Amino acid sequence: MENCRVIARLDIKGPNLVKGIHLEGLRVLGKPEDFAKYYYENGADELFYQDVVASLYERNSLQEFISATAKKSFIPLTVGGGIRTINDIREVLRAGGDKVCINTAAIRNPNFIREAALKFGSSTIVVAIEAIKQQDGKYLAFVDNGREFTGIEVLDWAKKVEAFGAGEIVITSVDREGTGEGYDIELTSTISSGVSIPVIAHGGPGQLTHFAEAVTVGKADALAVASVIHYDFITNRRSDMESRSEGNISFLKSGRTRFGKIQPASLHEIKLSLHNAGVSCRI
Amino acid sequence: MKQELEVKYGLPRAVKFCKKCVMSNQRPVSEVEFKHNIATRKKTMAFDAEGICDACRANEQKERIDWKKREDELLKLLDQYRKNDGSYDCLVPGSGGKDSAFQAHILKYKYGMNPLTVTWPPILYTEYGYQNWKNWIDIGGFDNISFRRNGRVMKLLTKLAIENLLHPFQTFILGQKNLGPKLAAKFGIPLVFYGENEAEYGNPIADNSSSLRDKSFHTFNNIDELYLGGVSVRELREKYNVQLSDLMAFLPADAKELEQANIQVHYLGYYLRWTPQEVYYYAVENTGFKARPFRTQGTYSKYNSIDDMIDDLHYYTTHIKFGIGRATYDASQEIRNHHITREEGQALVKKFDGEFPDKYFNEIMDYIEMKPDVFHQLCDSFRSPHLWKQENGSWKLRHTVKEDGTDD
Amino acid sequence: MPKKVVIIDYQLGNLFSVKQACDYLGYDAEISFDPEKLLRADYAILPGVGAFNDAMQKLKVFGLTEGIRDYVKTGKPMMGICLGLQLLLSDSEEFGNTPGLDLIPGRVKKFEVQSNGQRIYKVPQIQWNTISEPEEGRWRNTPLNVCKQGDFMYFVHSFYASPHDTRYVLATTAYGNQTYCSAVIKDNIFATQFHPEKSGLYGLNIYKAWFNQFAK
Repeated sequence: MENCRVIARLDIKGPNLVKGIHLEGLRVLGKPEDFAKYYYENGADELFYQDVVASLYERNSLQEFISATAKKSFIPLTVGGGIRTINDIREVLRAGGDKVCINTAAIRNPNFIREAALKFGSSTIVVAIEAIKQQDGKYLAFVDNGREFTGIEVLDWAKKVEAFGAGEIVITSVDREGTGEGYDIELTSTISSGVSIPVIAHGGPGQLTHFAEAVTVGKADALAVASVIHYDFITNRRSDMESRSEGNISFLKSGRTRFGKIQPASLHEIKLSLHNAGVSCRI
Repeated sequence: MKQELEVKYGLPRAVKFCKKCVMSNQRPVSEVEFKHNIATRKKTMAFDAEGICDACRANEQKERIDWKKREDELLKLLDQYRKNDGSYDCLVPGSGGKDSAFQAHILKYKYGMNPLTVTWPPILYTEYGYQNWKNWIDIGGFDNISFRRNGRVMKLLTKLAIENLLHPFQTFILGQKNLGPKLAAKFGIPLVFYGENEAEYGNPIADNSSSLRDKSFHTFNNIDELYLGGVSVRELREKYNVQLSDLMAFLPADAKELEQANIQVHYLGYYLRWTPQEVYYYAVENTGFKARPFRTQGTYSKYNSIDDMIDDLHYYTTHIKFGIGRATYDASQEIRNHHITREEGQALVKKFDGEFPDKYFNEIMDYIEMKPDVFHQLCDSFRSPHLWKQENGSWKLRHTVKEDGTDD
Repeated sequence: MPKKVVIIDYQLGNLFSVKQACDYLGYDAEISFDPEKLLRADYAILPGVGAFNDAMQKLKVFGLTEGIRDYVKTGKPMMGICLGLQLLLSDSEEFGNTPGLDLIPGRVKKFEVQSNGQRIYKVPQIQWNTISEPEEGRWRNTPLNVCKQGDFMYFVHSFYASPHDTRYVLATTAYGNQTYCSAVIKDNIFATQFHPEKSGLYGLNIYKAWFNQFAK
């Protein structure tokens, strides 16, 4: 049986869970630990933590949070953001992470994938590809939260990533990310059909129909989801934000819970919609 | 004996950085543009005894504002001017960027006004910038007048501004500032809204009829002594064959017209709390605004001022002249809004400030018919020795906000 | 006296989640590569993620191939997880033919990348999948007695174990056209292809059941 994984993705900046559009404009939505606990207890198949400021500081600072999660959440945890060396990977695993997600380091030096896969096992190494569609219709890979141009075409890169031994690929549509317009089906199916390792779709879902579509038409093996479930979480429960010292908390303070095209939904609702569309998943 | 370093433009000799944000004391504040030539000594932003800059202090004041009260003031103002006969009751200058998108939309759809939007188009539109402008009108839903000025003159003045002042945007900014009141006078729209107000804190009124008249060129005793692009009007006429009529687009409104129109120019940012990031979200949600599909060179952001190719170059020149690049401007603003910490701001400045904007550079050079080498030489001649040091063939800042400059 | 759990460390795979699971259930687990310590343990866990031949080599280097066999001979409980299950078999297809610990006769084979025309069954299999009882009642008196037919567990592997004797096959799972062995049991040896410490509360229950099964 092929079961689609629904992965809760948390973008983390310092003490905050943040959410942007096109990976830009990071609004604070609450404390990551509150979200993680809720998702673990309510149907997440995996957790994915992305340290969004790690590239800037050239270090991943989530160690404490990873350990805290690992002690209480017994589902796979993937950690990404600023992972550059074998030692960085070791630190994450030692802290309790199960998989690491690399992007910049892999593109700058594909051998790093091989080295890491040999050392820690292929299935421990996830490579992220951040894709932006160009004028001529081609998708090119970017690094550093969709900010730095590499000129590398995504399918070529995905095949290379597989050849170098990565266990999984997460394919992010920077164009769709945070917009609620749906996953980029063309991008996802191109990548997923082009490699034989699992591909996780990321970036864009806003309606329940988007999820099944990404699997049946987009051929995704797993789905990463953020906005839809985060806005759902804050609709019904609020993190205590009074002590926040950094980050854009205007949105939270406003008491709003909806944003644009995003229809908030829980993991349960998402999985049920998959099930109803004939997509098998863990329910 | 140690040679004292030359200090250009009348900038402060000692370089200091604000303790709260990442701005430096080399930052110039408002120019009297018509008198701006190469000999002009710059007035720079003040730092107080605690080493905090004016902008941060002004922002602190913002925290204490009763925004409900301010909004009530706005409602009163709008009630006075609102028209119900279908005619325009206010004018919003803008280009469809996040700020003007927010202004026009909120005035029309929340406060029930009937704005006319007016656009002084970019010198060189970016594709996504143009699309944002179109979406503003087509998705946001506004009437718009775009005033395209004489292209030959615009090109010439831009080139002159670069050659003489290393200020690609000088004439553009002039025209942009003057368009609103001019068209307001012509259309008989008494209320004009600018957006955010960083400098003149505490005063909602940017201009009224009398202050506008004061800025009108009729107050200049001798037109020939006006400077545009660092060149006097006389020289423009005698050397470049540009007549006064060719320059009208850049000059302020006619005094008589202003008198009849009785215009008031207000800052919307006085009445409504302006959080740039939230304004971005607002624009995305309501006027089809999309961020730049790639990071802006020289900074980390993707949604501030992205419709003019020359904008990127403009910030490169501020880095040359004042040691202040775009990342510094963006980060300072975000620190003031508590979106990022100073530590993060420092890292961002170190990473991106002064990055050369090569994406559109050649296109710009072609436009103004200047050789790239000439531009780079020009830049070097504009570097103030008190800010820059040449080390191993490359230029380095003597002082940086991360305290890793050559002289730190 | 508190029970001692040794998690066998041969430098492959992430042992910390296994330790977290033990901690959570109140068992003091030590991570060790020392065969002597292992011999003295009350419970032993053989985890692992990575390449078969790499693992066997490392086990040899630490003296653990003998160490594990000696431990198993004592009759004390041993649990294998993922690669830990595969290592128990006679040999593996990976990189030609590599001999394993040979505690359970059988072979470790690779998943073929299958396609049903609509989609590709990716390798490695990284997903939640269901476990089934080979026949009814099979799970009674085993650590899987806390499970129901069709319970979801977390799998991540490119190879699967194929024991010669179906007596030892405790659970099966289907991936594409391939139905394979997802858990084994042989006397004091219990092993799962899936990661119980990554399978949420249902997985933790298996740990609990295993600990309790052999608690005296």
